[in-house]
Amino acid sequence: MPDEEVLEEGVLNPIKTEIQDPLLQAILEENGSPLAAPTELEQPAPLPDPVDEVDCVVIGTGAGGAPLLARLAMAGLKVVALEAGPRRNPITDYATDEKAQAFLFWNDERLSAGQNPVAFGNNNSGTGVGGSTLHYTAYTPRAQDDDLHLHRDFGVGVDWPFGIDELEPYYDELEQFLGVSGPTPYLWGAPRRRGYPLAPLPLNGAALLMQQACAQLGIQTSPAANAALSARYYQEGVGWREACTNRGFCQAGCNVGAKASMDVTFLPLAEAHGAEIRADAFVTEIERDEKGRVTGVVYEQYGVTVRQRCRHLFLCAGAVETPRLLLLNELALTSGQVGKHFMAHPGMQVWGTFSEDIRPYKGIPGGLISEDTHRPKDADFAGGYLLQSIGVMPVTFASQMARGRKLWGQQLRDYMRNYNHISGINILGDCLPHANNFLELAEEKDARGLPKPRLHFTAQENELRMNAHSEKLMREIWTAAGATDLWAYERYAHVIGTARMGLSGDDAVVNPDGRAFDVPNLYICDNSVFPSALSVNPALTIMALSLRTADKFLAAQARLDG
Amino acid sequence: MSAPVYPSGTVRALLATNLVTDATRAALQARLDAPVHEPEFFEPQTYALLQAVAARLIPQPDRAEPIDVAGGIDKRLAEGKADGWRYNAMPPDREAYRLGLGGINQAAQALHQQPFLALTEPQQDAVLEAVAAGTAPGENWQQLPIGRFFEEMLAELTENYYSHPLAQEEIGYVGMADVPGWTHIQPNDLEPREPKAD
Ligand SMILES: Cc1cc2nc3c(=O)[nH]c(=O)nc-3n(C[C@H](O)[C@H](O)[C@H](O)COP(=O)(O)OP(=O)(O)OC[C@H]3O[C@@H](n4cnc5c(N)ncnc54)[C@H](O)[C@@H]3O)c2cc1C
Ligand code: SF4
Repeated sequence: MPDEEVLEEGVLNPIKTEIQDPLLQAILEENGSPLAAPTELEQPAPLPDPVDEVDCVVIGTGAGGAPLLARLAMAGLKVVALEAGPRRNPITDYATDEKAQAFLFWNDERLSAGQNPVAFGNNNSGTGVGGSTLHYTAYTPRAQDDDLHLHRDFGVGVDWPFGIDELEPYYDELEQFLGVSGPTPYLWGAPRRRGYPLAPLPLNGAALLMQQACAQLGIQTSPAANAALSARYYQEGVGWREACTNRGFCQAGCNVGAKASMDVTFLPLAEAHGAEIRADAFVTEIERDEKGRVTGVVYEQYGVTVRQRCRHLFLCAGAVETPRLLLLNELALTSGQVGKHFMAHPGMQVWGTFSEDIRPYKGIPGGLISEDTHRPKDADFAGGYLLQSIGVMPVTFASQMARGRKLWGQQLRDYMRNYNHISGINILGDCLPHANNFLELAEEKDARGLPKPRLHFTAQENELRMNAHSEKLMREIWTAAGATDLWAYERYAHVIGTARMGLSGDDAVVNPDGRAFDVPNLYICDNSVFPSALSVNPALTIMALSLRTADKFLAAQARLDG
Repeated sequence: MSAPVYPSGTVRALLATNLVTDATRAALQARLDAPVHEPEFFEPQTYALLQAVAARLIPQPDRAEPIDVAGGIDKRLAEGKADGWRYNAMPPDREAYRLGLGGINQAAQALHQQPFLALTEPQQDAVLEAVAAGTAPGENWQQLPIGRFFEEMLAELTENYYSHPLAQEEIGYVGMADVPGWTHIQPNDLEPREPKAD
């Protein structure tokens, strides 16, 4: 049996050299931090090699890792999830305070290069048991079939290796399981077999203002589909979850359990079926035998290095850490696509000041949606975007205002005194893969002595045209709503691509089932496998892929057994 | 529309109620009660320069005791914490602040023949305007992208300011008092605990 092969130690070792960041060097020297990389003199003691080999290790517990963890556990497999971040109790640990919630973000430094350097930290990815879903806004629109076929329809980008019919049953399952609140029928896209299980959440100030203005302009709108509960909801493996209290703080962690983050949905379900979740476990090495099969992983937990052997590995560390781990371990690289074709959704925002008292901290941040811009008739670009109303917390708003609007001094304080009268709209648009946009390992090292990731992103012609189109439209909407003092903020959010899925190992890292072409027992499932960016928020589709990847894996195992 | 002015005392009053969770109260109260920050990372002279720059970027002539926005930067640099990313064009944060503050002094010397600390407020503003516009003289800017440095420093000072309960009170933000949830969420529809502007 291939699984019984003797483990060859240290077949591959991630580069462990001296730390180059002078800042870190100085601090580590001063503090004698346990994070310091071992010097050549102090050879780390050989790792204990526990005999227990589990069926599957899942790295990362976000939108990509959690659903499949539950699926595999429910199939009776022995599964262990390794999560770099901590496990917290939302009820006692989640303050309604932006600064106090910074532990939810992936705060290890990433280097942002290119003409439009992407902001990370609170803008882009989370950590902890639940991953980025701990601080996502829980918008859950479905992708439409044409989102998967940009190349077929426009001759640009690449098509997904399958159509929407492969995802539709999972969308349906997820909406029911997570308890998505939304309008039935939904105005855009293909008809649904079932409506949303819960009625839409109430519209807040920004949503109502946008609704009225869009009606004047002939733009259809609808309450958004959102994975926050508009009523108490019973969930298998979890029990009753409480309804949203309109606390508006979803982007920094829901303290009532209303938002369908993985820590209150798939992860308890997985644990109820025997899955083990190890928090504060940062994976650094993926070990292989001489045939190239993964034999286990090595991780750091509380300053101790631990090895976990496994028969199959599911890499779900997100679209930055997944390619970083692959590059560090020189794994699955033959297609040349690891780290390539990094995409980020254009997330243009337009802000205005209203005479109405709005209080942007109340209600779910994204109440209203329009997908009339999915394929605009007057578009001079490929693909499309959606429009969302946005609420915002004061520190986030002030910070991006300072960056984007460049107000300082008394002007800054005067403008911020209008906070309660400010409302925004934003888009979320497709992004084309481009050779100039990619992730690489930098020379500079992090506190573990591992190279930091550097991400290059430059908005290309298509993204710039989409931005211009949407900015004009959003300015029209806010003007019709009576807003004054409009300003636009160009931003890019969501990390996508970097280990794409395709039909051939010549130009893709994983096959349509999520299995690496190069490594027979390695699966990848997170934002990184998206061949194209989609014109909708990614989380629901990541979860759908996660369940599908698990099902394809289980079917393949059944065939082998049979 | 002139900018709204909110009554003072509302946030402290809310912190004393059970409308605020323990975790939230702990975070905000700690900021209200913070002792005066003594610099750990910067030399006293450099720290004084940072404080002077901060006083122009976030001026607080209306406060007897200004909210400390510079201390958080010194503390963060001393601890070596990051916020998840950095412009690739920028050196590591400690180096960036060292070069950038030095550059501000060089610009002050070139434009007004005196160090930044010795300038009048309008002169200081003129120096900072030149930094914001990317036109400030000074050899340090050969090694540091001037616009990015200004953006990063301004954003960090701004975040430190608006994280403070008294600055939140100034803009009428009471989102921290969310224990009962919010039911009045339509425009112009306030809950009793939401202060009205004068
Ligand atoms: C502020 C914000 C708002 C958002 N709003 C929405 C929205 O409304 N709708 C939507 O669809 N999407 C939204 N998103 C995006 C969505 O949250 C992400 O696309 C999604 O969670 C990504 O899933 P993932 O599994 O790829 O990665 P993640 O959810 O980020 O999970 C990756 C996990 O892997 C762990 N990990 C990484 N490296 C290692 C390692 N070496 N060892 C162990 N563990 C590791 C990380 O700690 C993390 O927990 C939002 C994101 C943010 C930041
Ligand atoms: S708005 Fe609702 S879902 Fe969001 S944090 Fe508040 S209670 Fe949770």
